[in-house]
Amino acid sequence: MKAVLVGLVRLFPPAFRRRFGAELEADVAHGWDAARSRSRSAALSHGLGTAIDLMRSALAERWSPTLTAPAPTTTIREEGMGTFADWLRDLRVSGRGLRRSPGFAAVTIGTLALAIGVTAGMFSVVDRVLLDPLPFAHPDRLMAVLGTAPGSQLPPEFGLGSEFYLQYREQSKLIEDVALYGEGTSTLRVGDHVERILMAWPTPDLFSTLGAKPVLGRLPVQSDEDSVTVISYALWQSWFGGDSSVIGKTYDVSYGRRTVVGVMGPEFHFPSDGTLLWNSSAIREAGLVPGRLGAGMVIRTKPGVTPQALTMELTSLAKRLPDRFGGSANYARLIGQFRAVVRPLRDDMLGSVSRALWVLLGAVTIVLIIACANVANILLVRVEGRHREMAVRQAIGAGRAALARLQLAESLAVAVAAGILAVGLAWVTLPLMLRAAPPGVPRIGRVHMDAVTIVFTAGAAIVAALACGLLPALRASAPDLARLRESGRGTTRRHLWTRNGLVVAQTALALVLLIGSGLLLRSYSKLSHVDPGYATSDIFSFQFAPEQPSLRNGADWAAFHLRFMDRLRALPGVTSVGIVDNVPLDEGTGIGPFQAEGQVADPNAVTRLHYTFAGPAYFQTMHIAVLAGREFTREDNTVDFGNAVISRKAAQALWPNQDPLGRRLKPSGDSTWSTVVGVVNDVLQDDFRQPADPMVYFPLRAADPNAYRLSSPGYVVRTVRAETIAPEIRALVHEVAPEAPMYRTYTMSFLAQRSMNQLRFTMLTLGVAALLALILGVVGVYGVLAYVVAERRQEIGVRMALGAEAGQVRRMVVAQGARVVGVGALIGLGVALATTRLLGGLLYGVPAIDLSTFAATAGMMVGVGLLASYMPARRASSIDPIETLRGE
Amino acid sequence: MNLVEYHVLLALAGGPLYGYAIMSAVAEESAGTHTPRAGSLYRVLARLLTAGLVRETEPRTAVPAHPGLERRYYALTAAGRRALAAEAQRLKRTAAVAEKRLGVAPGH
Repeated sequence: MKAVLVGLVRLFPPAFRRRFGAELEADVAHGWDAARSRSRSAALSHGLGTAIDLMRSALAERWSPTLTAPAPTTTIREEGMGTFADWLRDLRVSGRGLRRSPGFAAVTIGTLALAIGVTAGMFSVVDRVLLDPLPFAHPDRLMAVLGTAPGSQLPPEFGLGSEFYLQYREQSKLIEDVALYGEGTSTLRVGDHVERILMAWPTPDLFSTLGAKPVLGRLPVQSDEDSVTVISYALWQSWFGGDSSVIGKTYDVSYGRRTVVGVMGPEFHFPSDGTLLWNSSAIREAGLVPGRLGAGMVIRTKPGVTPQALTMELTSLAKRLPDRFGGSANYARLIGQFRAVVRPLRDDMLGSVSRALWVLLGAVTIVLIIACANVANILLVRVEGRHREMAVRQAIGAGRAALARLQLAESLAVAVAAGILAVGLAWVTLPLMLRAAPPGVPRIGRVHMDAVTIVFTAGAAIVAALACGLLPALRASAPDLARLRESGRGTTRRHLWTRNGLVVAQTALALVLLIGSGLLLRSYSKLSHVDPGYATSDIFSFQFAPEQPSLRNGADWAAFHLRFMDRLRALPGVTSVGIVDNVPLDEGTGIGPFQAEGQVADPNAVTRLHYTFAGPAYFQTMHIAVLAGREFTREDNTVDFGNAVISRKAAQALWPNQDPLGRRLKPSGDSTWSTVVGVVNDVLQDDFRQPADPMVYFPLRAADPNAYRLSSPGYVVRTVRAETIAPEIRALVHEVAPEAPMYRTYTMSFLAQRSMNQLRFTMLTLGVAALLALILGVVGVYGVLAYVVAERRQEIGVRMALGAEAGQVRRMVVAQGARVVGVGALIGLGVALATTRLLGGLLYGVPAIDLSTFAATAGMMVGVGLLASYMPARRASSIDPIETLRGE
Repeated sequence: MNLVEYHVLLALAGGPLYGYAIMSAVAEESAGTHTPRAGSLYRVLARLLTAGLVRETEPRTAVPAHPGLERRYYALTAAGRRALAAEAQRLKRTAAVAEKRLGVAPGH
């Protein structure tokens, strides 16, 4: 904003800038800083006021320079752009003029209102989601910390472990506070009400690090150990009705008892928007096992610490971890490769959506520019039409400034009306847009029309008025008096060039948007044809977590679930039922180090694999192909323990180019081996963009009944009634486990759709913008040619009287249109070449510069442009030469 | 002379000032009724310079108000002082007439 303001100083004429430019820029910058330090709204209104003043003064200075003007003696009269009263009068005149030509008013106001409305709507989303500071104290000093270890098997960036937290907390000189946290879904029970909800497990200092205070109760402290929890405002309202007696009560939270000590405010969301509960737990050095990575870390730096300095310090502090905490040789090697990754917390929380939102704001801004070009073109036509009137006004003494003001007032009147309409439009469309927005966009719930949006709309309307009124105003201010003597027809070449230039710009911009949405469309089509390795149709999935005294160990759990699977299979229309701990596209799996038997060369060599647990018939139900061996049977879960199924990639990673069947693997540090009985196809667990991860599947239980138990496995049910079977299953669940609610009920096709929501939303919005741009561009081409044909009526009549064929005349007009559209398309292609890479991570399977998309959309643009030129061409060729010659 | 010009001259009557300080002084002394933005202010200054009512001058103090930023200071010329005095007289007279017509007792 400041740069824009300072940049506006360039509008002043060079002479003025040479004398005052530096001072003016310094004062503008100083004024902005002063207003910014007061408040955001002060800065906005100051910025807007200063911008308008700079544009106004610069224009005035160009009309009547103050520096070279002859020195008046004692009285100095305000010259140039006129007084406020002059403007008001001209506005009133223009308003009356608009009412007299309703067609003109409807087209121009409608076009601008639509464009300003969508821009304002999009701006309020960007403002609330991206520009608003995080609702924490001094958010600029908050950093998210991750790790990277190039050359290791770990993902490019990974969360840290408890040992990092202790080391940094005690030894860093650059940080003020640090917290570690994990997040996941787990059960909360309050009386009869049980549900799996999103909760976090932070260290007690999370709240002090973020600088957040509770609205009720207190924050956890180190001495609370693992006994307390803090609840969110949303949970307080929905589960406890906002009753303050909740403080001090103890509930079952995630397999433990915790006492509620505090309630956070409604603005506090961390790490996700939907986190409902924070189970604080202190980390102690005693008994800590290093190398359990994957937790989130947030740091509050001391004032003035740069991310670079912090990265250096955290990396070098980490190098001393093996000395202090021990750990395997593997761990020591990992730490050798370790580097800290420091990122402003804001980027970490908003990074994923910011690209899409900026792209969309850019797209609607382009639509606004195209709309302005269109309106400017229409206004130019009108100025041409009023040429005689202007000349007469000048002849009887109106100054150039007065004529320009009259014309600018007209575009201002249009823009003011459009701005008012746009606010209404944004007010109606914003909720629609928010409903269409993909889930998971942080802070989207805070978006609504507010004063900032309205100020922005007003600003956009004024800028639009200047943008589309400036050319016509310049044109109007210089009427050619000589032409008063002629019959007043004929447009000079120069003015046609202006109008052609506007159409070229429109065509180019529209093509850029078309190419962008074409690329997204192709990405979407590629993504929806990805084979995830499983079927996404006819599958219903759900979870429930029975809590019964009889379910004491893994054996009881497995037996309970196997019995329930039989009940489900008996439902009409159900062909197969499977169980898995993490349903694809809904939950991620665990990741851990594994050892393969026979890798004796290095007993410490481990392979990092994803793992989950599956019951019998899971692969059959999901249509996951069994490539070798067999899938789990009932016996694998009841008597024949110690078997495992692995994915193709896991087989490649563990035993490259060997037959994995019958070989054994185990989690690193574990003592029991599992034998591979089957190899299955790779599946896309998290979303369709990432390549498949190597995966190990274990049965629901191990030989030792206490080894592990699955608290709430996901059921997958194959049935043609996937969309409607939920109530029957819910009744069944209620029968066997009245205490356990059924939740996370989805169809696989819904989950597949959901995984593509962000791309679909971006694609649709960009598509609508591109369509608007195309329509406006076509209208622009048509308008110019229709006007040219009307202007050249006589000339064409003469040509035809001298023997020109109708076809020749049509070709002449279409060729003129083709030239303009062709130049526009070429420029558009050039701009697109430079800008499509901004789409970056939104694209899938399509390069940012995809020749076929570029060629196809450019061809479409030119084709539509030619079509738009053909209509005026036909009118030209139907001119009756006798008629026109008689008119001469 | 319009009121903004009057206020700019008035601000400079107290001694040389630089642009931003003039803006602040005008806003303060006009009790907020005139708050010229930077663009307008420099046009007014340019007019007053051209008219010979204001001239550029050396700053009073050796230490600049904003280190690292060169500020230009403006001061009244003799003609500017006269013009300000004349305008003040004129305003005083018109104020007296207004008070008389409105039936308000003059001050003191």
